[in-house]
Amino acid sequence: VEDSCPITDSSILLIESFFLTSRFRGEGYQEGFQRGTQRGLHNGWRHGASHGAKLSSEISFYYGFAISWKCLLERQSDDRSRKRLKALEALLNLTQKFPLDDPQSVKLQEDTEKLRAKFRQVCSMLNVPTDFKDYIRTAEGTSF
Amino acid sequence: MKEALSLVQRISAHPDSCCWFVSWSPNGALLASCGGDKAVRIWGREGDSWICKTVLQDGHQRTVRKVAWSPCGNYLASASFDATTCIWKKKNDDFESLTVLEGHENEVKCVAWAPSGNLLATCSRDKSVWVWEVDEDEEYECVTVLNAHTQDVKHVAWHPKKELLASASYDNNICIYKEEDDDWECQATLQGHTSTVWSLCFDASGERMASCSDDRTVKIWKECPSENGQGNLSWKCVCTLSGYHGRTVYDVAWCELTGALATACGDDAVRVFKEDVTASPDEPVFSLVAQETKAHSEDANCVSWNPKEAGLLASCSDNGEIVIWRFKEEELD
Repeated sequence: VEDSCPITDSSILLIESFFLTSRFRGEGYQEGFQRGTQRGLHNGWRHGASHGAKLSSEISFYYGFAISWKCLLERQSDDRSRKRLKALEALLNLTQKFPLDDPQSVKLQEDTEKLRAKFRQVCSMLNVPTDFKDYIRTAEGTSF
Repeated sequence: MKEALSLVQRISAHPDSCCWFVSWSPNGALLASCGGDKAVRIWGREGDSWICKTVLQDGHQRTVRKVAWSPCGNYLASASFDATTCIWKKKNDDFESLTVLEGHENEVKCVAWAPSGNLLATCSRDKSVWVWEVDEDEEYECVTVLNAHTQDVKHVAWHPKKELLASASYDNNICIYKEEDDDWECQATLQGHTSTVWSLCFDASGERMASCSDDRTVKIWKECPSENGQGNLSWKCVCTLSGYHGRTVYDVAWCELTGALATACGDDAVRVFKEDVTASPDEPVFSLVAQETKAHSEDANCVSWNPKEAGLLASCSDNGEIVIWRFKEEELD
């Protein structure tokens, strides 16, 4: 009398190899996941540091710019210079109030835009051409 | 009442190019146009027809998108895709370039003079709105850079009575700006359009504003006191004209003399709407009273009512043409 499904040696090997594969897959996944987490943390940290450095250097640039121009214009008493000085003071104020220590600040985006807008206005008043290629990339395209 | 839009003259204003905008001088005697050929043209009436009086060719390196007359009529501002705004001074029949306003990062989409004549606003694809101040020595200085929009700003317009500025953008919103504590800020963001807002204008009193959009509607907004009763006024949409325009509505113009509303549409048509006098001012009703479906052979980009001659309307198109129309309202017997 023969069995309908004989368990042969080769079948046993097949079953055992299936379980082994599953186990190794599981272990492999766990190890990979851990490695990935570490890598991600590392990359994220680098990313954040890079962005932080960029933003910080932008803000510091505005600060240095404003201080320098303030020194240049401080002695002048004509109307034009007074208006420019007022705008420079406003720019300085914005750089000093900027939340550099708080990357999670809800006002970060808003403050950055206000600061950039003020900088553009000041440059316009001083007749200084602005070259933002290092900070903001603009897309080219057809215009309407 | 039977109204009609009849053609007065068709002009090939900017041949082999497109005509983007037309603007009447404050005394109604001249019409300025600008286009893709980088030029500004001034048209005047000689007898019964309109002829080209001046061509301002060398002001810009790229398309001139809009032109605006100062309230006194002695200056003309031109906004260009070359990122500059040129101020021209009228000298007899000619214009000379007075100064060039630089600062925008890319294409300037609009320029507008405040009724006081002391302020100028520009807006750009760089998403910002700039306000400039001009002094007695004809010196222009940027007073503020406003970043209330998140996309390309298409149009700016000043309130006729107060120092209030409105802007329209690709971000579907309209922003209202006011000067507060020596600095300009966005006082309100009007949402409602479901696509790019291409243009807007105030009525003669400034109590209402009309806007037009890529969503094929025209919206009428009314100023109303804000809920908490504070100083700041808010704007509410009190009427939407939909179902009339087959494509994007590119421009809307409110006639100061008659109260008629004209539109320029991407379906090549020019339309005129009038308000029903019987409706309540808080829920106005506008009806289509005249329509020229084949006003141009291509998109109509702009419409402008003559400020002194009631019923005289100018429109222009992507095919480089300007058309002068007469809108006549016939009285009931």
